[in-house]
Amino acid sequence: MPVTVGSNPRGMDALAALLAERFAGELTDVRVQEPDTVVVRCAPEKLKDAAARLKADPEVGYETLNWIAGVDQRTGIEAVYHVYSWKTNTWLQIHVDLSREQPEVDTVSDVWPAADWHEREAWDMVGIRFLGHPDLRRILLRDDFVGHPLRKDYVDLAENHPHV
Amino acid sequence: MYDHFETPEPDEAVKLALRRIEESTARGEGSDVAGLEFNEVVVNMGPQHPSTHGVLRLVVTLDGELVKDVIPVIGYLHRCKEKIAERRTYFQYIPILDRTEYVAGINCEWAYVLAVEKLAGIRPTRRAEFIRVITAELMRIASHLVAVGTFTADLSPLGTAMVFYMFRDREDVLDLMEELTGARMMFNYFRFGGVRYDLPDGWVEKCRDFVRTFPAKIREYEALVDDNAIFLQRTQGKGVITQQDVVDYGITGPNARASGIPLDLRRTRPYSVYPELDFDVCVEHHGDVFDRYRVRIREMRESLKIIEQCLDMLPRGPVQVGSLRAPYVITPPPGSCYVGQENPRGEFGTYIESDGSRYPYRLKYRDPCFCNLQLFPKLLSGNKIADAVAISGSIDLVLGGIDR
Repeated sequence: MPVTVGSNPRGMDALAALLAERFAGELTDVRVQEPDTVVVRCAPEKLKDAAARLKADPEVGYETLNWIAGVDQRTGIEAVYHVYSWKTNTWLQIHVDLSREQPEVDTVSDVWPAADWHEREAWDMVGIRFLGHPDLRRILLRDDFVGHPLRKDYVDLAENHPHV
Repeated sequence: MYDHFETPEPDEAVKLALRRIEESTARGEGSDVAGLEFNEVVVNMGPQHPSTHGVLRLVVTLDGELVKDVIPVIGYLHRCKEKIAERRTYFQYIPILDRTEYVAGINCEWAYVLAVEKLAGIRPTRRAEFIRVITAELMRIASHLVAVGTFTADLSPLGTAMVFYMFRDREDVLDLMEELTGARMMFNYFRFGGVRYDLPDGWVEKCRDFVRTFPAKIREYEALVDDNAIFLQRTQGKGVITQQDVVDYGITGPNARASGIPLDLRRTRPYSVYPELDFDVCVEHHGDVFDRYRVRIREMRESLKIIEQCLDMLPRGPVQVGSLRAPYVITPPPGSCYVGQENPRGEFGTYIESDGSRYPYRLKYRDPCFCNLQLFPKLLSGNKIADAVAISGSIDLVLGGIDR
């Protein structure tokens, strides 16, 4: 079936209510960010199930992963997943709180293939370890780089730049 | 002393390629040409290679002339743009955006300015909105000229003529932009709530001249390659991106539209004054190299249509909200937002988190080329190495955006 860009006649608030009801076990703190994004929170251990169900949902169907960002919130590390629904032409932003000492979360690259590189980037920059990722190497920085530069406590050491 | 003939230690990507060869041989999927001890060869293409249009490095596993596996290696142009944002005020950060995707810098500026305006609740003036659309569409034309020109140059000697014509005509666009902003490519032109300068005297007429003369040049390009047997043979049916690929990998822009998906953020998620303008979303249906070329050519015509309408509708008034001094220091309230914008290559967006200070707490790019490049291993495998060059040209990568 050809892919088309749909629309969301029921409105953002109704869509948020639908998500809150249908994914009551996984998604919390559902709110609408105008004009077309629903922002939710999700516990790291439930992320993978939620991702698979969100993708397979017949009415909404968040089929495409747009990007993943790692954010150092000082008290913890946050992973932000941005996914797109073709059927309703809306975006969903999933915030996942991780601990600072051991930021680990299951990979979603087997649910959304696009997650592969975005997870590598989040590992490279913020140091989130995606469990079960097929090839979790650094992507933008050198293979032998030490540390994760977008952490707020990152200190740039001279030893880290042997080629300069 | 450094030994010039020493074989360097293979890095992670090459090791991965070798490991995959071993695995496929163990599965019995290796090449089996009689009399040869080994057939698969790992070839390192780039980062300094003319057909990669930048510093893209591909570790290609070849079986004879067929591409079996591709491992893209990126990061050679990494300039820590997301890290730099931590120590720059919102205003100081604007010029850095031009350097992200330097072929269409003004469109990147727009994506950032849109996000900050949304976060801080600033609305640009109406005249500024029209000027923004005009400059962005001019740069879309310039960017597509670079994309199609370098791509045809990869294909055949015929293309080398094409690339000269296209770069010649791109210079017309850059002259217009230089007169307006003071720079050919590094504009630093957009401001929160408007643009930096109003249009100089006589600029509108020059722009109208360009809009009048450019369609003849597009017809010239089409006459040069559209019916050319060599060009058609090398492009039709090659490197097909299916609609499933688009959905799975988040392909956007002309590459998605060539596969028959009418995804254009100017229409599907309208911003600025695009809802008032009349233009078509160019869609082709095969998703091959030729269709991606056609979409870009047709989009140039649509951009001309948009520019013409904007010049007709251009209202009078200020090009900047408040006094010129006002938007230099802004402190958006705490919160986060993401705004995507239709770049010539797809959806370019910025995600900004603010903690209420003068500096962005976290800034993240969503770069279209980064997502498009991720499809490469799937797209190139099974093609001849010469076609791989053509296909990678048709995807139109800009490494400045990928590596950030």
